[in-house]
Amino acid sequence: MTLYERLGGEPAFEAAVDEFYRKMLLDVRVARFFDDVDMDGQIAKQKAFLTFVTGGPANYTGQAMAVAHQHLLEQGLNDEHVDVVLAHLGDTLRELGAASGDVEEVVELANSLRGDILGRTNIAQ
Amino acid sequence: MTTVKINDQSISLEVGESVLEGLERASIDVASGCRAGTCCKCMLQADGAAPSGSQRGVRTTLKEQGFFLSCQAYPDTDLVIQSARVPDPVTATLDHIEMLSEDVARLRLRFSDPSAMDSTSPVFDYRPGQYLDVLHSSKGDECYRSYSIASLSNDGFLELHVRRIPGGVVSGWLHGQKVGAQIRVRGPFGQCFYLPDKIERKLVLVGAGTGLAPLVGITREALRQGHRGAIDLVHGAVEPSGLYLREELDQLAAEHPQLRVYRCVLREAGARELEGPLDQIALRVAGPLKQVTAFLCGDDQIVRKLQRSLFLAGVPSGEILADPFTPAPA
Repeated sequence: MTLYERLGGEPAFEAAVDEFYRKMLLDVRVARFFDDVDMDGQIAKQKAFLTFVTGGPANYTGQAMAVAHQHLLEQGLNDEHVDVVLAHLGDTLRELGAASGDVEEVVELANSLRGDILGRTNIAQ
Repeated sequence: MTTVKINDQSISLEVGESVLEGLERASIDVASGCRAGTCCKCMLQADGAAPSGSQRGVRTTLKEQGFFLSCQAYPDTDLVIQSARVPDPVTATLDHIEMLSEDVARLRLRFSDPSAMDSTSPVFDYRPGQYLDVLHSSKGDECYRSYSIASLSNDGFLELHVRRIPGGVVSGWLHGQKVGAQIRVRGPFGQCFYLPDKIERKLVLVGAGTGLAPLVGITREALRQGHRGAIDLVHGAVEPSGLYLREELDQLAAEHPQLRVYRCVLREAGARELEGPLDQIALRVAGPLKQVTAFLCGDDQIVRKLQRSLFLAGVPSGEILADPFTPAPA
């Protein structure tokens, strides 16, 4: 059973994604990267991300992740911002009732996307 | 074998093939993302019922209109996909025009054939809160403007609230029309409308200016459908003169104790108005926000701000229906 399923699957995730996105919008360190005018679009992206890192139904491509963040690099997106997001991710999962071992595992998986997000991997493959 | 029809093309799905995969095999361009039913990017609209299991995670007002995720769609009967084609214009007759405030006119339109607005008729089947386009030819140029619909299907007419925009081509023309004028409309459009799926839930409707029009339609529709939860309607304007339809709404609230109407202005509030930013006042009157469904209508910037404020204060994102109005370029 994946963590996604153990945490309650899709119904639980609706609320978790909202909470995760709220934390980002309320954190002055990263809010500007998430301040998309299309809130529904942003929420759908966060949902896909959370679903993937908890082992739910989502196909991940490093290329898509790199392309999606390219314009944010120009706005100064760096390692510190990724750290902030990972901290919010851990907090969201803990509030959802995830065990600390599970949280570590998910944050580690999310952390493995850091290279794609920050454009350190070659996207023209 | 099931067939998918799109834009006059028929595609036979292979065994185990999703609608998305079938369309791609036929070289039909469909935007897609996660291909796992999460990101909603590959959403299409079915003409009729959507394939079972393909609407998980889709917003309820979109589900109602047949939207589904093509990557999750494995239909067991033939499927027709609606093309993104804009509906053809239909001509209506102006039946009533009056001023509701200094610059807002109420227009009521009727179709000559009364069955045109019957829910079984394809001519103009809408849900209160949706919007339509009014088309107008000016100096050889065809242009259109969007207006929300304030009436209910069984009113027998389409009601619009039109604010006269200084220099506005369509609003100025509409304000000058007399009863009997022929007006071309097309639609309906939009996903901001009431569904009776959670009748105990509290509804908070917030609108600025003529953003009141769809909210009146949604409020009356919720009452008509037997909504049981409280309904708070908050109408905002810059000054008290921008607020309208006061007597009618107060009358409606007197008839329905579950409905409360608040009026708010940025300045010069009198005894009947609250003064302050619309989002702050909406939050103050709304109560516990996790149990609220919000409908937000009006000018684009105001609606975005309301959406963000209500979301950050705790309204679930899936319970916020927003209809931002973007003014046409001058």
